[in-house]
Amino acid sequence: MPKIMIIEDDPAIREELGLLLENEGYRTAAVADFSDVPGQIQGAAPDLILMDLGLPGRDGMSLCVDIRKASRTPIIFVTSWDSASDELRALSLGGDDYITKPYNIPVLLARIRAVLRRVGGQAESDTLEAGELKLHLTRGTASAGEKSVELTRNELKILAYLMGNPGQIVPRADLIDALWDSQIYIDDNTLSVNITRLRSKLEEIGLPGFIKTRRGMGYQL
Amino acid sequence: MRLGEFLSDRLDRLLIQGTCAGTAAFFLWATGTQPGVLVILLLSLLLVFIAFHLTDFFRQRARLQELNAILDGLDQKYLFAECLPPARKLYERRFLGLTRRAGQAMTEAVSDARAAQLEYREYVERWVHEIKTPITAARLICGHLEGDIRRRLTYELGQIEGHVERALFYARAASPERDCVIRPAQLGEIVSRAIGTHRTLLIQSGVRVETEGLDLCVYTDEKWAAFILGQLLQNAARYRGTEPAITISARPLGNQVQLTVADNGIGIPAHELPRVFDRGFTGSNGRVRGGSTGMGLYLCRKLAGFLELGLTISSEEGKGSAVTLTFPAKENLTKL
Repeated sequence: MPKIMIIEDDPAIREELGLLLENEGYRTAAVADFSDVPGQIQGAAPDLILMDLGLPGRDGMSLCVDIRKASRTPIIFVTSWDSASDELRALSLGGDDYITKPYNIPVLLARIRAVLRRVGGQAESDTLEAGELKLHLTRGTASAGEKSVELTRNELKILAYLMGNPGQIVPRADLIDALWDSQIYIDDNTLSVNITRLRSKLEEIGLPGFIKTRRGMGYQL
Repeated sequence: MRLGEFLSDRLDRLLIQGTCAGTAAFFLWATGTQPGVLVILLLSLLLVFIAFHLTDFFRQRARLQELNAILDGLDQKYLFAECLPPARKLYERRFLGLTRRAGQAMTEAVSDARAAQLEYREYVERWVHEIKTPITAARLICGHLEGDIRRRLTYELGQIEGHVERALFYARAASPERDCVIRPAQLGEIVSRAIGTHRTLLIQSGVRVETEGLDLCVYTDEKWAAFILGQLLQNAARYRGTEPAITISARPLGNQVQLTVADNGIGIPAHELPRVFDRGFTGSNGRVRGGSTGMGLYLCRKLAGFLELGLTISSEEGKGSAVTLTFPAKENLTKL
């Protein structure tokens, strides 16, 4: 898994961010002593740097210039200073993204994934599989055996999220949260409608009861 | 200054001069001066008086016009006394001296107030940025919690952020040119930025958001526009009806772009509609539900004014409200 280096002077955020990223499966390293940050970065050799702008001693911008002299490691600035000129400057100095505090956690994770994907040049797998079901993301179809069916964008995202968490019970609220990340802004009722349609489409290709409802808890594949 | 008012202003002098001339003529006549001589004398006196007063009139009028022009040409009118040409007459000199002293006192008071306001603004900005650190930490800590409690706390944190954000923009609105950068922006990005900021509130309010035709470019400050949009989204979520839905749609209108945020909420009574952009106006809905500050739409109008955005609202009680933002055409922007 990629290694993420956290450069942040607030101890609570440093610690919590570390835990969050580790729970997401990343390896982490944190800078707690701000005397020789470029040296520590070289030592840790991270795949991505999350950096606060307002650091003790020297600010993140000049640090960024220093880091850029030695490496191309992507840098995401995370800061509570949200002026447009800061953002422009940070990006022109070699930052890869700029996120303002307080951030929504799903948004932060999505931006980290996006930067890593962009830098790594690795395309995400185009098909997802769960049991007999194959989901073709770019074509927007689901297939089982010989049969195949077209899905709407909403249905595709719902199924992809469920297939990303196979066997687990996915609470409706988590599912809605994940859909909002993909700019599908639906409510509970619309989710039910979509799930119903999705189920009947899966039935068409011979997979009735593929999505199970766990009453009061959520859905499960 | 007209001749009539000038003369009536110096009626006292005219009367004294007339009386003196009359008395002298009577005295000369009584001591045996010939009437012909008297007439010549009086006529020449009259000519001298007329010439004197007329010269005075024209001189004063020219002087006043000059001062008027100076005042009109000044951006900061209170600096008038500093820019005066030297006075020719003792009385005017003294009088302008007093004006200058008064003006200096005013200039000092103004610059003190300016400095205090700037200091306060800077403090608010600093405070806002500082408070964001613990809010961020709290959000991350919330990640350890499960399910409902996490969602409720995240919701409350979102409320805190909303208030903090309004305080920040309120402070910024006092001198917007320092922060506002107008450049081309994708409308879709502004909208998803605003929705992203308020997603917890929207999701928990059970709101469905539909977007339509947002693939347009506008000339604006992305952050400010997203803030305005955010206020509209918060209002739509707060004053929602059953099965709440918000439609955000855009369409080009000549070189302008119209963005409409429409909801199916409880709506605003017609008689309150003209006042919703007033500072501190909460309306009957706000009073019934509580938690309304009357600042959201006021700030929207203020910031929209600076971004040269058109801002209109329509509403029907029980049916919903629609706010339309009209983004100006690039050519019409004065601040680009």
